[in-house]
Amino acid sequence: MDDAKREALKAAGIDVEDAVRRFMGKEELMMKFLLRFGQDPNFGLLRQALEEGDTARAYEAAHALKGVAGNLSLRVVFARSSELVDSLRAGDLQQAKAGFPALEESYRAVLDAIG
Amino acid sequence: MPAETKRESILIVDDEEMNRVILSTIFCEEYEVLEAEDGVQGLEALAMHPHVSAVLLDVIMPRLNGIEMLKQMSEAGLTAKLPVFLITADAADDTMREAYAMGVMDVIAKPVVPYVVHRRVNSVMELFRARRRLSAEVERQKDQLLRQTRELADMSMGMVEALAAAIEFRSDESGSHVRRIRGMTRHILLHTEMGKGLSAEEIDLVSVGAITHDVGKIAIPDAVLNKPGRLTAEEFELMKTHTLRGAELLTHIPQMRDHLAFRYAYDIALHHHERWDGRGYPHGLKGDETPPWTQVVALADVYDALVSKRCYKEPYPAAVAMEMIKGGQCGVFNPVLLRCFEQEEPALAALFRQSKKEEELLWTMQKEKP
Repeated sequence: MDDAKREALKAAGIDVEDAVRRFMGKEELMMKFLLRFGQDPNFGLLRQALEEGDTARAYEAAHALKGVAGNLSLRVVFARSSELVDSLRAGDLQQAKAGFPALEESYRAVLDAIG
Repeated sequence: MPAETKRESILIVDDEEMNRVILSTIFCEEYEVLEAEDGVQGLEALAMHPHVSAVLLDVIMPRLNGIEMLKQMSEAGLTAKLPVFLITADAADDTMREAYAMGVMDVIAKPVVPYVVHRRVNSVMELFRARRRLSAEVERQKDQLLRQTRELADMSMGMVEALAAAIEFRSDESGSHVRRIRGMTRHILLHTEMGKGLSAEEIDLVSVGAITHDVGKIAIPDAVLNKPGRLTAEEFELMKTHTLRGAELLTHIPQMRDHLAFRYAYDIALHHHERWDGRGYPHGLKGDETPPWTQVVALADVYDALVSKRCYKEPYPAAVAMEMIKGGQCGVFNPVLLRCFEQEEPALAALFRQSKKEEELLWTMQKEKP
């Protein structure tokens, strides 16, 4: 990974060093999963469940997204999906919906940075 | 890493591939890593690999979630044998409480920090390893204690045999006489109705008790004990006291008195010259007033004397000895005992031949010594 790429990832709220440490210093292994992040279905499932007002499924999707974001040290996505998980666990669909745009913004930023 | 650690395996149960890869990467150098994608697969893996040393368990999974899998492990008693770690993104209070109640050793937060997971998992695994070592050590020491106890018991039995043999030697009987009496007594009690009501342990104790049947002969003067001709009435009266003196002697050995075989040894020493018709000594007991096992020892003693060589006689062939006993030439015995004895006679004769062979071998070995 070149420096420009690293800077771009950091700018998108990704703690690259932390993520690499989680994969025991294996940067390629971490990058393999990071590059796959766009294919993770959970963001789409979350949006759909929120639109349909299905709190349980929204919770499942948000929880899964939070897990992936945590593993890849996507700091901002992790923080915002955590908020949604908390709202949805409390059954507060409105609050979750209100938090979704901010989550989407951070999600897009990560996808853009990954390229 | 020591070889022992290398062979251990860890099971990772998580539906997310990335989670499995991260955990596997942390542990794959030290352990063999098994992976399962949900609780159902996890239980299957445990059934196939019963020697898994630890389980890292995700909570939210399809089919069978972590808590359900944990519950089944707990019910099967597995959580006592191997440490289970719950790896979870949101450690809700009630989930944790439930998990700990079912025997989880630790709850580790996601996203994991490798060195934290590594340290926490390894230290609990080391605890389990130490526990296994300790219980193996306790087992080993228990075995050692049992062996030592057995050795001590063998040793004291050897002393009793030596004492009995020393006394038999005085009356020109070989030391193997006492061992044969013991063997015959045991055989008859084990294989015939004479041993009815006795457990195998009790039969062993009776046989041990048979060893000292003639221990009272130590109190009989050589002149009487080894007199080649017939005993005078007075001498015979003296000779008869070996039964009373034997029983008395046994009560004066505290170790013998406390031995489980004592009550048998005492009665055998005292009553092995009683007769079925009440004309024996020292008490003139009739019939089953003499315990059946003492009757067995008395007959074995007579039989062994007949088929052995003595200073005053050549050995009789087994068949002749049997006829003499049946014909009442050597005392009067319980008819049931006679029947049992006759039935087992071939086995007893074999026992006698075996003992003779060993004796001869021993003599040859002693003679060949420089």
